[in-house]
Amino acid sequence: MFSSLFETSFSFNDLLFMLKGAGVTLMLTFWAVLGGTLLGVVFGVIRAIAPWWVNAPLGAVLDVFRSIPLLIQLVVANSFKTIIGLHWSPFTVGCVVLALYMSAYCTEIVRSGFLAVPATTRRAARSLGLSWRQDLTEIVFPIALRVALPSWIGLTLGVMKDTAMVWWIGVVELLRSSQVIVTRIQEPLFVLSIAGLIYFLMSFPIARLGARLEKRWREND
Amino acid sequence: MNYTFHWLPAFRALPDMLWGALVTLEIAVLSMLLGVAFAILLALAAASPYRALRAAAASWIELARNTPALFQIYMAYFGLGSLGIHLDSFVALLAGITFNNAGYLAETFRGGLRAVPPTQVRAARSLGMGQVQAFRLVVMPQMFRIVFYPLTNQMVWAILMTSLGVIVGLNNDLTGVTQDLNVRSFRTFEYFALAAVIYYLLAKFVTLSARLMAWRLFRY
Amino acid sequence: MAKGFGILAAAALTLAAALPAQADKLDDIIASGTLRCAVVLDFPPMGSRDANNNPIGFDVDYCNDLAKALGVKAEIVETPFPDRIPALISGRVDVGVASTSDTLERAKTAGFTIPYFAFKMVVLTKDGLGIKDYDSLKGKKTGSVAGTFEALALEKDVKAWGAGTSFRGYQTQADVFLALAQGQIDATVVTSTVAAAIVKEGKYKGLMMGGDAPYDIDYVALIALRNEQGLLNYLNLFINQQVRTGRYKALYDKWIGLGAAPDLTVPGVYR
Repeated sequence: MFSSLFETSFSFNDLLFMLKGAGVTLMLTFWAVLGGTLLGVVFGVIRAIAPWWVNAPLGAVLDVFRSIPLLIQLVVANSFKTIIGLHWSPFTVGCVVLALYMSAYCTEIVRSGFLAVPATTRRAARSLGLSWRQDLTEIVFPIALRVALPSWIGLTLGVMKDTAMVWWIGVVELLRSSQVIVTRIQEPLFVLSIAGLIYFLMSFPIARLGARLEKRWREND
Repeated sequence: MNYTFHWLPAFRALPDMLWGALVTLEIAVLSMLLGVAFAILLALAAASPYRALRAAAASWIELARNTPALFQIYMAYFGLGSLGIHLDSFVALLAGITFNNAGYLAETFRGGLRAVPPTQVRAARSLGMGQVQAFRLVVMPQMFRIVFYPLTNQMVWAILMTSLGVIVGLNNDLTGVTQDLNVRSFRTFEYFALAAVIYYLLAKFVTLSARLMAWRLFRY
Repeated sequence: MAKGFGILAAAALTLAAALPAQADKLDDIIASGTLRCAVVLDFPPMGSRDANNNPIGFDVDYCNDLAKALGVKAEIVETPFPDRIPALISGRVDVGVASTSDTLERAKTAGFTIPYFAFKMVVLTKDGLGIKDYDSLKGKKTGSVAGTFEALALEKDVKAWGAGTSFRGYQTQADVFLALAQGQIDATVVTSTVAAAIVKEGKYKGLMMGGDAPYDIDYVALIALRNEQGLLNYLNLFINQQVRTGRYKALYDKWIGLGAAPDLTVPGVYR
């Protein structure tokens, strides 16, 4: 085993192949986070201000995405899009499912951020003469952002790691590309360790940044 | 739409899938029990005065939180396998999820520990309690209240993560059974939609029982 | 005048609407200029990757031949075994050149051609485990790729042998070999060609043949969508021509080489 670390058949080409996979992982993450955040903000604000008869059904629907394994969601969505005759690539299906999945969690983050702003603060803002819109952009948004951003960073990293599951529907991302190389050179521990290292390098610095932000903002409170 | 659904074979397979759901629940519960045990050890190690212990706990926690669960399970099976450590598919999945659970729960417990002021422990000690006694009677109940909600969340996560066992050859949990049925006739949508419903009910069952438990436990 | 124009426009619209409906998958492939083939690439010598991670193998060449016959470019889409039919159904590929066994259960979902290859099954095991023939699998840990011809046959026998013998279904052929080489399982049943290729390659240490598996001959076919009769017709004729022109034998000699290329006919029955 140890000899394999030194006499590996792992070539520079293989590393490039894996980095290409990592690029796909990042692209998937980008689209999923973009879509998921936009939807999450819209749904989150609706859930914070809408009456119960809008709120409850929306909450129940989003809850479905949090209660079914992502792997199953991907498989079901992938076969469903075929049934209804959509010509989407697996990459697109992956992005859409991941975005919906992310929006379900993001909604709750946005909502709790929104509700974290005390009603008295908002009333004070309004009585100082701020309009409803100003109240939202100048008062609610900055305070809610502080509450929500650390969780949002955590969620983004979670989605980045969850992209590993899209290989099941035929996208060659980082984990799948490392499997391809394991198949050829038969050094699973070595190749998988490299894959793990790449994931770690993509995730850890941002996780640290999130933790620092959270700490700094708490100190200012 | 150029597709005719074949629901009948899927419904006929329902008993097999429900047995699979039982295995899924079993793995999730075991991984939570083990995960909580390891997480408490990790949280204590992370707060310990020994540097080596702190470093070991930190690497576990960071690795668990910064790599995909799928990767961790694959590593537990094929990575350890190439070192000559042979875990059965079931054990590898359990080990992978436990590793992941422990990493996330350790952070939760660390927050929970911090939420109990050290002055309380000192007060308890001065009332004549031992260190273990003070931890068990004063810190634990308060910490438990704080971590209860994240704990139920992690339990739901554990159920969702069991679906990854199919990657390491597990064929008797809910996803494994479903995939086994699927690869015979490839009526993918029918079988997996049914599995999705069962997973949803499992997750709801866990959240509702947790809510019931919280109501009984945390009443003053 | 206006009325006449309306009728004309309606007729033109009907014609325009009717025309695309005439084009079937075969037309689509020719018009698009690319043939997308599902190929399994952890299944040497039928499909694998060279040192630059490019696809090679019998199935890869077969797809290239088919594309050449159609006058289009070939695109190899890698699909692990359980993903072949989903890839076809979901429109990721046009045909599957992926050593797909023509089971009746699968034919409820996908369309099969006449056989283009045939496999014999053998036991693949590791030395030192004392597995010499199929019956000595009793009481051992076995595994195979979930849902394949050999997996279904093996799982059935494992169930009949009862407790003590276990079966694990993996999602890729590579995972099965890895599990076998690492000792997670004691034996698997695979096609004789892949077993010979794997043992000869020597990538996995200590693997050896453990005798023939007493299964029927595993005829494998090309797959296309169930309702694309035009394409399926073309594929049938293509397979026939491959044999007739000697290309089948040439590919066999190039990739497998041992003995004669398998006979693709079943005695005593049409088709």
